[in-house]
Amino acid sequence: MEPEQPSPDAEHESLHEEAHLPPPSLYPIGFAIGIVVLLVGLVIDPMLISSIGAAIAIVFGILWARDATRELRGETVVLEPERRELKEAGEGAAAAPADEEEGALPPVSRSAFLEGATLGLGAVIGAVITVPVAGFAVLPAFLDQEVHKVDLGPLETFPLGQWLIATFVLDPAEGEVSRRTAFVRNNGLVADPQTKQQVPSFTIISNHCVHLGCPVQANGPTGAILGKPTIHERTANGPVEFVPVVPAGYGCPCHGGQYDPEGNRIAGPPVRALDRYAYEIDNGRLVLLSVYSVSHVVGTGAQAKIYKYKTYGPGQHVDGPEQWFYPLSPPQH
Amino acid sequence: MAAIPKEKPSSIEENRAGFARYKADVKARGKSFYPYAMFHDTIMSLVVVFTIVGLAAIWKWSSWGVTHNPTHPGLLGPVVDPPADPGTTSFVPRPDWYFYFLFYLLRIFKWPESVFLGTIGVPTIALVLLLALPFIDRRRERRPSARPVAMIAAVLTIVSMGVLTWKGATAKEALASEVILDVPRWIQQEHLPPEAVPGAKLFATAGCTACHTYAGSGGSNLGAPDLTAIGARIPSKAFHVAHLKCPSCVNPGSPMPPFASLGEARLEELATFLVNSKGTS
Amino acid sequence: MATRRKPTKAEVRRQHAEQVIVYPLEWLEERSGLVGGVKYFLFRNVPSDVNWMQTLGSAALTAFLVQAITGVILAMYYVPSAATDPHTGKPVAWESIVNISDNLFMGWLVRGMHRWGASVFIILMFLHMGRVFLFGAYKYPRELNWIIGVLILVMGMMEGFTGYLLPWDQTAYWATVVGINLNGTAPILGPWLAQFLRGGQAISGDTLTRFYSLHMLVIPGAIIGLITLHLYLVIRLGVSSPPWSKDAAGGEPEEAEPERLRPGLTRPVPHGAAAMQAEPGGRD
Repeated sequence: MEPEQPSPDAEHESLHEEAHLPPPSLYPIGFAIGIVVLLVGLVIDPMLISSIGAAIAIVFGILWARDATRELRGETVVLEPERRELKEAGEGAAAAPADEEEGALPPVSRSAFLEGATLGLGAVIGAVITVPVAGFAVLPAFLDQEVHKVDLGPLETFPLGQWLIATFVLDPAEGEVSRRTAFVRNNGLVADPQTKQQVPSFTIISNHCVHLGCPVQANGPTGAILGKPTIHERTANGPVEFVPVVPAGYGCPCHGGQYDPEGNRIAGPPVRALDRYAYEIDNGRLVLLSVYSVSHVVGTGAQAKIYKYKTYGPGQHVDGPEQWFYPLSPPQH
Repeated sequence: MAAIPKEKPSSIEENRAGFARYKADVKARGKSFYPYAMFHDTIMSLVVVFTIVGLAAIWKWSSWGVTHNPTHPGLLGPVVDPPADPGTTSFVPRPDWYFYFLFYLLRIFKWPESVFLGTIGVPTIALVLLLALPFIDRRRERRPSARPVAMIAAVLTIVSMGVLTWKGATAKEALASEVILDVPRWIQQEHLPPEAVPGAKLFATAGCTACHTYAGSGGSNLGAPDLTAIGARIPSKAFHVAHLKCPSCVNPGSPMPPFASLGEARLEELATFLVNSKGTS
Repeated sequence: MATRRKPTKAEVRRQHAEQVIVYPLEWLEERSGLVGGVKYFLFRNVPSDVNWMQTLGSAALTAFLVQAITGVILAMYYVPSAATDPHTGKPVAWESIVNISDNLFMGWLVRGMHRWGASVFIILMFLHMGRVFLFGAYKYPRELNWIIGVLILVMGMMEGFTGYLLPWDQTAYWATVVGINLNGTAPILGPWLAQFLRGGQAISGDTLTRFYSLHMLVIPGAIIGLITLHLYLVIRLGVSSPPWSKDAAGGEPEEAEPERLRPGLTRPVPHGAAAMQAEPGGRD
């Protein structure tokens, strides 16, 4: 004969070792939940949710009041006969083992259960707090990486065979923080291998050194020494600047890396050739796509053979035995 | 002094007994931390705080105080640097001074296969050695005069960190934006005629000084010769033009890259400059 | 033997004044035990021959406190945003630093103290480490303290690295690019670590806020915890004497002949100990 309680109480009862009191009632909790839902509903949706909350509160309130006033109303409180059987942690309330002998008891079952429950629940609470937070700290850096298309202007801006130091903003919404520089040269027309049509060919080299990311400079006269003015354009990506240069190569100011005009490493610690931008011609305008890594380049200009890899960070080898240091790259664009 | 005995690592009992003696000694003969030792600590802390305040004041007043322009590099550098520009092509990055030793280490490991040694390998090994020191040196001896290995290792470490830091501080990368500022000095020291000046400016900005030294500028890399008096050694303009166009054709085995992309006119200007560089006198 | 005469008015006043101080302290002590702890810290014995070099540790602590206090004040005016201010075209973080330096009362002093305090803190840590090495004070029983100290040094340099980015000027930006890419060259995990630090594939505003969080909360928390442990061990294990000092605490007793029973001992003194007893001087 059990009082009408929700099932968790059965387990409470069976573990009760002391002088028997009515087991704790869950009705107050139900009532509190009802009140909370009512209040939240007032904010979110007064018609629907508050009504539900009010109903819950009323139902549990009545049950609670009935329970609390049992003795006042003269009803006998039905108590369970004392049962000494102890269950192992994890068994459901329904599986009530028969209490044959007092002697066949596992020695420290109650404290073992409590220990297990404390540590287990503690682990759950710890996980619930740390896992989402850690995920928040770590994952956004790896997800949702965008490709930015950069409109560099009409093809006429790029004189044939002239190197230009192009400075542009990848994403105008992000602002100056996404400003980048590339060395751009118009190589003229070249036959597309698939369509056999003549398409413009560009060499577009990123100025991030592939040793440790420093800004690479062009080794060559510019501006007043060269006698050619800077070209200013305005495109969908905001203002773009082109500085003509005649580079004999590129050099890095940090640790002495030197590259040839195709981006191949000729001296210093860089571990591969300079990265390049993929590009497309859209309505007669040059549009930059994503960056890719290059191990080396054979030949020059429109006839260059570029050994292309996905984007690696600076200092990471793409070929040779050291490439196995970096077996797993973070997700790419 | 007795010969330093070859002791095995002390037993834990010897250690404990020694420490017990220490504790008894301090209890019997020691003096109270306050005020004796704390007074010394207080004086030293005062010195530290005044040093920090003094440095802050010198920083401000030698930069802004001199010209009312915070970008003026005073005794301790400018108070305000230009804002971050991810697209720059003229900036020379440097870390904070206490990282100069690591920075120079990266310049030492300039073979691509060895890059990770400079970035990760050596610093990690150094850190591990530092952490493991109490387990490497287990002798009970504390007097410096009786710990030759420790003292020599300490001196070597301090000297090498000091040298690396200093070399990191003075490292210059001879790139266009830095070297172009040397041209007036070259003109003066080498007595360059006016027709050699365009070539001098080209020489400064075309990357030649990345490998060659010239009149105190530039760096020597891969054994590139000093060009301060090249005009005295090789006075032929035609040779210089041909060499610049294709160095390995004229000088087999030369690692110098070709500069033909500069174009005939500029190569002539460079040759004029080289021929007129007869040395600083 | 104090004679039982009536206390003078002056003495009574003095006793009352002392009670004003003593009574709250006793109240606090009975309820927390803290006063006893502070008293223990202040009046514990240290060896009588402690050296000026041994003030470097507390000097480093002072430098750290200067950094903490100036850092807290700077944080009230610094804005960790890499966005461009539409009115001036300059990054907001950079402008907030210029604002601190130029416009705010004594802002230049607080900023300058924080910037140079960082260098002083690192120098003092290195000097302190050198002093501990010289004194052999990393040996038993202070090995753990040495390890904690090295960790504090590493944390301090990381604090300098993360703080360096915050002004968002050219030196800051590019030094951070290189520093993060340095981590990126580590085998296997390097690229992931670099991207985590950067908050993406390229340095952006996320990098700045990330570094700000590390610089303000994570690393100072770690440093404070480590310093607490470090000081606890110093107090518990005691300060060592200079090893060359004649009066060093814990020096071996001078008289000893091998294999002869010294009064009070029941076993002969072993050989090794005899050799160590050749000269006075601290060993512990």
